[in-house]
Amino acid sequence: MANAERVRVRGVSIYRPIIYGNTAVVLNQKERDSSSHPDHTHRWTLAVRSAASAPDSEVVGGADDLSYFIKRVTFKLHETYPNPSRNIDQPPFEVSETGWGEFEVQIRITFIAESGEKAITTYHHLKLHPWAAAGEPEIPPLDVAMKMGPVHSWQYDEIVFNDPYQNFLNILTAHPPTQLPKSRTKPVPFHLAHPKSLEASRGGLPEFTNLMEKEESERLEEAKKTIIEEHAKWHKKLIEKEKELERLQRDIADRDE
Amino acid sequence: MAASAADIRSALSLPENNAHAGPSQLKKPVQATTRKPEGISRELYSLIGPSAPSIAAQLAKPRLKQKPNFGVGGVKTKWELRTFKNSARNDGLQLQHWVQASEDPSAEYSFSKYNVPNNNYTYSQDEYTRYLDDQEWTKEETDYLFSVAQDYDLRWYIIHDRYEFPNGPQRTLEDLKDRYYSVCRKLVRNRPWPGDETSKTLLLASFQFDKDREMTRKRYLESLESRTPEQIAEEEALYIEVRRLEQNERKFKRDRENLLRTLAGMDSGLPDVMEDDIVSSGVLIGGESVYKSKKKKGTVEDSPATPSTATIPSIKKPNAPKNVVFDAQNCIIRTEAPPTAIATKAAHQPAFLRSFKIPAPKAALAPKINQALAELGISATRLVMPTRDNFAQLESLLDVTTHLVETKRLVDKADYDISVLKKRMEIREGSQVDGGGDGEDGMDIDGSQAGVDAEGETEEGDDGRAVSVMSGRSGRAGGRKHGRRSMSISSVDTTSTRAGIKRQKRS
Repeated sequence: MANAERVRVRGVSIYRPIIYGNTAVVLNQKERDSSSHPDHTHRWTLAVRSAASAPDSEVVGGADDLSYFIKRVTFKLHETYPNPSRNIDQPPFEVSETGWGEFEVQIRITFIAESGEKAITTYHHLKLHPWAAAGEPEIPPLDVAMKMGPVHSWQYDEIVFNDPYQNFLNILTAHPPTQLPKSRTKPVPFHLAHPKSLEASRGGLPEFTNLMEKEESERLEEAKKTIIEEHAKWHKKLIEKEKELERLQRDIADRDE
Repeated sequence: MAASAADIRSALSLPENNAHAGPSQLKKPVQATTRKPEGISRELYSLIGPSAPSIAAQLAKPRLKQKPNFGVGGVKTKWELRTFKNSARNDGLQLQHWVQASEDPSAEYSFSKYNVPNNNYTYSQDEYTRYLDDQEWTKEETDYLFSVAQDYDLRWYIIHDRYEFPNGPQRTLEDLKDRYYSVCRKLVRNRPWPGDETSKTLLLASFQFDKDREMTRKRYLESLESRTPEQIAEEEALYIEVRRLEQNERKFKRDRENLLRTLAGMDSGLPDVMEDDIVSSGVLIGGESVYKSKKKKGTVEDSPATPSTATIPSIKKPNAPKNVVFDAQNCIIRTEAPPTAIATKAAHQPAFLRSFKIPAPKAALAPKINQALAELGISATRLVMPTRDNFAQLESLLDVTTHLVETKRLVDKADYDISVLKKRMEIREGSQVDGGGDGEDGMDIDGSQAGVDAEGETEEGDDGRAVSVMSGRSGRAGGRKHGRRSMSISSVDTTSTRAGIKRQKRS
């Protein structure tokens, strides 16, 4: 490794969009009978993928192979699973299992040696039951859930590298990530931070788009406007109150004289 | 200069009188043969005769401005006297004016748009103590300044003239301006801003006021205006002298240059005398004109009404377009590396997931902020797309929300204070109005009512409260007069104060 390659490029921050999460489907009776765990009701797949979806793909995201900068992904499952710490050293970075309950999964992403970076850890709540609007039952009966199709729970995120080594930067720039599509052709991946997307998330395989970022930005902007209006109102009120208070204080002082 | 008889005759266009003999008579046959060319005055022509220089003959006769041509070809415009309303007025005054009949009668009064109201800045007690505290100024005086400034619509000379704060120090006009604009700047800077950053910097720049610079400017102008005629003459003489010297030097240089070029074929390499040709040529015409042009120039430079050193910070130049595309494709964000950053391992910020750096609200206010945002359908702890831009948005949103929550808290506090004061007054007045007789009973009802008031309304603090306070006040104003009259009953007074203390404790 040439020495010049091991220099940090200052003032550069480079990120890679990823998604992590899971997909779950309800097992039918036949599958359950043939399984060694007859109490397991769902099959799920946990994964770390690139954010953009490949065309005609059967999964959410995964257009790019992330192994150019990710060496290993470790999924730490619930202790009741045999060998709960699953190391995945080859793409695709995913684990498929069957089970009956939701739990918190620890996801640990280790980078290639050139990065000189420590592994990072995040958490994901393994989602088996369909997303429910307020008022709907949290866990619908299995046959209802089966009709609703696969459950998707994905979080978009960005892995940020600051002042990367020159050779690592070269590796990264040699693999520009696939851009997210500009418009929406598939359902929106549901997210709890945006409950109103529930309707738009139904009806098949979701896909992350640039539109989601823009829409969220607009939501924040809208909220900001509302808050500023509200603030102006309250500020006016506050000044009125202070004047009122001052008058009262003067009145009292007058009377005490 | 005495005018000859011939002059007068020609001025009045009278025929020449041949009976008179005079010097003009001799010229007459010459004049008769040649016509006076356009653009030369008669007197001048009579002096120089037909041998006028060709350039003078080309001078066009000064013409008056062309008259506007109204209604060519007998087209008449119909004018009507119409009443109009100025939408910029709020008293609904109706005046009449003449307008062309072809104009749309429903059109807005075209001058109303020039009535630009000044944005009136107000600040709360809390804002004052946090941002606006100044050793030179008290809050009362600042309040007074703002009220005067508003009354006279920022006409600073009038404001300064009318400014009279009791027991306040003497203020110069610059003091007033400086205080006013610095307060505005601080308010704009510290308040939630609805627009984008550029409009904010623009607004801030418009509030820029450099007191020292303004004072220096005025001092300088004053010294310029208060020179004696001798000083002016001397300055003028010196100035002309300098010009002459410069001119000479230039001439020398030119001569030398020419000489060298013709003799040796090389440049002298002498430094140029930097000079404005137009100004220096003015020296030849006369000192007066030079002085005037200099003066004019000087005043132009010195007279900006509000000198400001504010420069809108130039927006960082974007990278070359190629780089931008490359960076966008590769998700690269370039920042200016801090020059003093030491390249140690410890200083390096390790890789992270963007969502871990989500901006967090102030811990003490977090529950209220989160609740306020939740009402708007925003989750402050998680984003669907935690990108850099969205985090920046979220951060400003949190900032604004913090302001809101704090303002609400202050309103609640003011509400509570008002209710306490109100209660105190009510108790006092209640006992005084009722007089000595059944004072105890009346007070009790009053007190418990006020107690309920305070509890219920400090929590809510909405419009209903303000109304009740107002009505309560006006009712009391009458009661107070009554109370004053019966003030002499001292026993009543003491019981009421005792009761007042008791009530306070209870609440």
